[in-house]
Amino acid sequence: MRGGALPPALLFAALGFLLAYAPRKLTPPAVLAMVAGAAGAFAIGVPDNLEEIAFAGCWISVMATALLLHLPGRLGALPLTMVGLNAGVWAGAVISVAGTPLDLVIALPAVLVVVPAALILHTPARVGVKIVGSWLAAVAILAAAIPLTPTAGYEPDHFE
Amino acid sequence: MALLTLACLMPGVTQAHDGTGLVGGFQSGFLHPLGGPDHMLAMVAVGLWGAILGRPLVIALPVVFPAMMAVGGVMGIVGLPMPPIELGIGLSVLVLGSVLALGLKPRAWVAVLLVAVFALFHGYAHGQELPSAADPTGYSVGFVLSTGLLHLVGVGVGYLLAQVAGLKAVRALGGPIALAGVWFVYVAVAP
Repeated sequence: MRGGALPPALLFAALGFLLAYAPRKLTPPAVLAMVAGAAGAFAIGVPDNLEEIAFAGCWISVMATALLLHLPGRLGALPLTMVGLNAGVWAGAVISVAGTPLDLVIALPAVLVVVPAALILHTPARVGVKIVGSWLAAVAILAAAIPLTPTAGYEPDHFE
Repeated sequence: MALLTLACLMPGVTQAHDGTGLVGGFQSGFLHPLGGPDHMLAMVAVGLWGAILGRPLVIALPVVFPAMMAVGGVMGIVGLPMPPIELGIGLSVLVLGSVLALGLKPRAWVAVLLVAVFALFHGYAHGQELPSAADPTGYSVGFVLSTGLLHLVGVGVGYLLAQVAGLKAVRALGGPIALAGVWFVYVAVAP
C-alpha cells in the first residue's frame, strides 16, 4: 500500500507551511489553485502505466515545496499560486492512479496547517515550522526511493 | 488436544504472515527509533547540542539531521556500500556525547558536517528495513516524526535545564551519553 490520502496530504501540508510565511491575502488564490489542480488532474486521470511518474512528481513536489520554506525572501502572488497549482496537480494525479475521491477529500484539510503554523510564527517557537517542514522533505526523499528496490513491501508477494 | 484446537483457532497464528512485508506502517516506524537506545541517545544529543550552540545551529541541526538521515536511508534502500553501520552509530553517540560534555562550539559548518555524517549512518540502518514495510510511506512518516520529536525533546530539555541550572547542567548530560557511546562502540567492534 502506498497510495491513498497520505501522499497528497503531505504535499498539501508542505504547501500549508509555505503559505504560513506569505501575506494572508495570498493564501486563498493559492489554495483555490491547489483545489482546482487536484480536481482537474483527478478528473482527467493518469494512465496506470504512468503511476511511477505520478508518485515521483508528488514526492519531488513535497521536497521542493519544503525547500522553499528556507528561501530568504517571501514568494509573490504568482509564484505562490503556481506552487499551489503544482501541488494540486500532482496530488490529483496520485489519487487518480492509487486512490479514491474520498482520499482527496481526506487529504485536502492538510493545507489547514497554515493556520497553526501562521500563529506559531508569531511566537518564540517559530523555528519549529521550518523544522517540521524539513521532516516532510525527509519523508518524501525516503518514499521516492522505495520503487528503486525490486522487493518493495507494498508489492504483492508470493501469498497474493 | 483441547490446547491444540485452541491454538489453531487463535487469530494471531494467521497474522504471522499477512502477505505484505512488515506488519504496520506509521506505528512501526514511530516506535522504531524509540526501541534502540543508540538511536535515541544520538538524536537527543543532537538537540541538546543545538540548545548549547544556539542560533542558527539550533535550527540547522534538527533540519539537517532528518534530511541527511533520509539520504542515508536511500543509500540503505539501494544497498550502497558503507563502513560498518553499528560502529558508525556507536561513534555518533560517543562523539556527540563528548562534544556536549566538553561544551565544544565549533564553526557552524563543522557542526553541520559532523551531524550530517552521523545522520547517514542512522538513516542507512533504517533504510535497510524500509523496503519490506507494507506501508513504506506511513513507516517513513512515523520514524521521521519520532526522530524529529527526539531532537525537539533534546532542544527543549537543553533550554529548560540551561535556564534552571545553567549550561554546565546541560553539559553534564553529555558524560553519560558519551559513556553509553563507548559501550556501543565496544559492542560493535567486539568479536
